[in-house]
Amino acid sequence: MAPSIGTSVPRVDGPAKVCGSARYVDDLVLPGMLHGATVRSDVPRGRLLGVDLDPAFDWTGITVVTADDVPVNAVPLIESDQPVLARDEIRHAYEPVALLACEDRLRLAQALRHVTLRVEPLPPVLTIDDALAAREAIRGADNVIKRYRITKGRGGAAVEGCEVVVRGVYETGWQEHVYIEPNGMIGWWDGDTARVEGSLQCPYYVQKGIKGVFGLPDDGVDVTQAVTGGGFGGKEEYPTLVALHALLLAKKSGRPVKLVYGRQEDVEASTKRHPSRVEIASGCDRDGTLRAVSIRVLFDGGAYVTLTPVVLSRGALHACGAYRWEDVTVEAVAVATNTPPNGAFRGFGAPQTIWAIERHLDRVARTLGTDPVALKRKNLLRLGDTTATGQTLKESVGVEECVEKAMAASGYVEKRERGPVVTGRTARGVGAAIFLHGAGFTGSGEKYLKGKVAVDLLPGGRARVRTGSTDIGQGTETVFRQIAADGLGIGVENVDFAVPSTANVPDSGPTVASRTVMVVGSIVDAAAKELRARLEAEEKARGATRSAAWERLAADPARATSLVQYEPPPGVVWDDATYSGDAYPAYGWACDVAEVEVDLDTFETKVTGFWAAVDVGRVINPTLCAGQVEGGTLQAIGWALTEKLVTKDGKILNPRMTNYIVPTSLDAPPFTTTLVEAAYSRGPGGAKGVGELPMDGGAPAVAAAIEHATGLVLDRVPMLPEDLFEASVKGGAR
Amino acid sequence: MSVAGLALHPFSTPKTLDEALALLAERSARAEKTVLLAGGTDWFVERHVAPAEEAGVLPLVVDVSRLDALRGIAVEGETLHIGAAATYLEIRKDARVAARCPLLAATARDVGALQIQARGTLGGNLASGSPAADGVAALAALDATLLLRSIRGARRVPLAGFYTGYRRSVLAADELIEAIEIALPPEGSPFAWRKVGTRQAQAISKVAFAGLAVVASGRLARLGLGMASVAPTVALLPATRALGLSKPLGEVTDADVEQAVLADVSPIDDVRSTAAYRRHVAVRLAQRFFGELRAL
Ligand SMILES: Cc1cc2nc3c(=O)[nH]c(=O)nc-3n(C[C@H](O)[C@H](O)[C@H](O)COP(=O)(O)OP(=O)(O)OC[C@H]3O[C@@H](n4cnc5c(N)ncnc54)[C@H](O)[C@@H]3O)c2cc1C
Repeated sequence: MAPSIGTSVPRVDGPAKVCGSARYVDDLVLPGMLHGATVRSDVPRGRLLGVDLDPAFDWTGITVVTADDVPVNAVPLIESDQPVLARDEIRHAYEPVALLACEDRLRLAQALRHVTLRVEPLPPVLTIDDALAAREAIRGADNVIKRYRITKGRGGAAVEGCEVVVRGVYETGWQEHVYIEPNGMIGWWDGDTARVEGSLQCPYYVQKGIKGVFGLPDDGVDVTQAVTGGGFGGKEEYPTLVALHALLLAKKSGRPVKLVYGRQEDVEASTKRHPSRVEIASGCDRDGTLRAVSIRVLFDGGAYVTLTPVVLSRGALHACGAYRWEDVTVEAVAVATNTPPNGAFRGFGAPQTIWAIERHLDRVARTLGTDPVALKRKNLLRLGDTTATGQTLKESVGVEECVEKAMAASGYVEKRERGPVVTGRTARGVGAAIFLHGAGFTGSGEKYLKGKVAVDLLPGGRARVRTGSTDIGQGTETVFRQIAADGLGIGVENVDFAVPSTANVPDSGPTVASRTVMVVGSIVDAAAKELRARLEAEEKARGATRSAAWERLAADPARATSLVQYEPPPGVVWDDATYSGDAYPAYGWACDVAEVEVDLDTFETKVTGFWAAVDVGRVINPTLCAGQVEGGTLQAIGWALTEKLVTKDGKILNPRMTNYIVPTSLDAPPFTTTLVEAAYSRGPGGAKGVGELPMDGGAPAVAAAIEHATGLVLDRVPMLPEDLFEASVKGGAR
Repeated sequence: MSVAGLALHPFSTPKTLDEALALLAERSARAEKTVLLAGGTDWFVERHVAPAEEAGVLPLVVDVSRLDALRGIAVEGETLHIGAAATYLEIRKDARVAARCPLLAATARDVGALQIQARGTLGGNLASGSPAADGVAALAALDATLLLRSIRGARRVPLAGFYTGYRRSVLAADELIEAIEIALPPEGSPFAWRKVGTRQAQAISKVAFAGLAVVASGRLARLGLGMASVAPTVALLPATRALGLSKPLGEVTDADVEQAVLADVSPIDDVRSTAAYRRHVAVRLAQRFFGELRAL
């Protein structure tokens, strides 16, 4: 059987999605089902005095749920500080306060307009600076959610003694996921068992939330993933809240309740990428050898803790970039504001700090009068080097090869030497970014997760993978089939993928952190190989053919299944107290080159070419892998050039696809993607994660290209034409 | 509102223009609200943003998208006649439009994207009255005349006299836009179409510029200009037009153009852009056009 790993097996879920027969949560109808809706506050901060139902309105057939109906009013997460429904306090402008359900959607929409919230407004904290000033305390006395400190060598103080000291401040704004399918869940009760089905990334996270709020045991909650139209991290923690709301309405009404957000509600209320400010002071020798760096990372966490501590952690751990430094201090602080909680988003804190360090090294290069790539190359981490947390890189560092390939493919060096090309009123330039992304959970995460996967032998020579890792459009179903098929030595068409449901798949850990292929895939691999060994033993012991052995095992419930738990690699040591050690088992590496054309009158930036060379360890499915790189890069280009969330007094002014501007296919540049394979010994076939990595490099590469083309230096994302214009007024461009 | 929501509205599909006009007349006499539905690409969005009041009576929706009288594209003598319900796709594919009125073809290619072009119409673009309307900017540069019709008869209104303010026009409650008439410029007349949107497709204009000129011995014999998103209505740039017509092209300087354009526009800050940027772009696009004309 020719191996399937390394071939572009077509996506198994593709035909149903393209033909429209795939059933998303909004397509599902349960008998007697009601529709749910959420009543939200409309001030960013205040005291909730009451929820009033208009007595003139006919409330028959409408179920109303308030905080009084919630058994344990806290969403279980890192700090469980977020109420399921607000009771006394309003902490952001889209805070859920009450829930309504009705069979008729039109009446539901009318009823929504007959609920009034009595709120005494309080002065809100809306920005990082507001929070740090702490004139209003919304969390503790200082509004700080979490702090980390990473130090290496003599620390950041060593910067001052260096030959060349460069300082800079780099900022990024919110980013909305704009997954194609907004959040949605159906919840119902089967006696005392809570059941939900919906759009989600992590069934076991949702289960944990429901258990906590309703006080249920594991087997009292069943969470099933419906076909999910994208997530990008936006369906990591948020769906728990939607599921809880649907179940509360279902409990009170005694009917199944479907709660599906419209686009506007989804943009307003659900999570977004953390806005950031990163302050860097670095020191290097006159020849460009980097020596010391002092970095302050500030993230806006929003109204509740949710996942902010972990996002901040990843941000801090990527703050030094793909480079060697002897002396380091990274001080990372996340603050609370009266804005909707920010959360998981592809890259998970790293895009913000990679943006900062890449822009900063561009600035250092400018100061030294050298090319940024030359400077970066000189200082790249190599095998045997140690990172800021003191991790020694022992294997799988393909960054040098990535840089070489990206340089060769793009002609970067010649284009930079030639200088910007100005034709009439357009200027063309190129820029690059070099970066890394830690694959899998941070530090000791995987040890606590204990991810599990089951592979079953089925009659008729078929096998089935059962995992809590979901396919949300990125191809999990397909690549897991490939890994299992190769492990078992069978054709990929003979492998099934069980619908993820907590009732019948083991907890593989969440579908996040670029861990699905690298970590969970390696468990699939181990389980499949274990079954293969069983088959071989059976064949030897009892004779006859492989298929006879297969049928015998498949018929024996005690032997048909292999359930394997993840074994974290030995020798990976992490100390949470000092924030030092092996931050990640492996890193993906990459080099991006962007070419842009800037209209010197309108300041529109068009990305006209993009070359990415990406070290993924091992390519499981070339088409899907390149698809991740190109899709992730386009998402990064959107963040860089057009995606700006406009807010006023804590409210979002552009919560629609017509005015929150994500790129279209016409905005996508031609991509040239090179996949590099510096194998990681513990990944399936050598694979590392690829999901998030491409989100990190697009913005700094585009910024560097704009700088090359126009001489305009932009240190804040997004870089709208208006920003280039403003910079040109201040700085005087071509 | 989704397409499904349309079913909530009373709906009528008149077979002829006269039938539609009679219906409009009857309803406006009783002060009842009627919505003419052409492509629906503006109206559905508007409905979604401001849903119908629950207590109020929902307006009657009258489908005018299939009325023959509103559909065709024709050239009569030196006049291009475009039915108000002709779609952008029909316009951009029409050989006569491409040859004789390439400005309009270019605009039609830049509206939304293919799906919107297949449904959207100039009648809807005009009647919605958005200051960001690309089609209206092009019609302004072409100095189009609108043929309005009601049961009382027809009248011709030049585009310059159509709007009375932000999203307000002279269109009466019993009236519809039947067609747009354009005095065709000589073949090969220089023109400019430049849309500065928020992205490459499905974008509302931050600024859009349309220009059309007829040049005779170093002077402009005809100059039409239109600009979207720089004023409460699509701007016709009268000062800039007057400048262009006032002296030989060679004497029109960039500084003159800047001064005139700044007198003609009054942009605002909104979610899409800033007033300062719009002013800058408005000036530059007009300067580019004059530069191109000078270089002829
Ligand atoms: C995704 C998207 C992208 C878009 N992109 C652009 C763009 O790039 N540029 C741009 O300018 N616009 C754009 N629009 C707006 C819209 O497509 C255009 O304004 C289009 O021309 C409207 O035409 P319609 O036939 O769809 O109008 P409809 O929605 O059918 O009608 C709009 C209004 O006009 C009235 N009306 C329609 N026909 C007549 C008539 N013959 N007489 C009197 N009243 C009439 C209707 O009653 C209604 O009030 C976009 C819209 C969407 C949804």
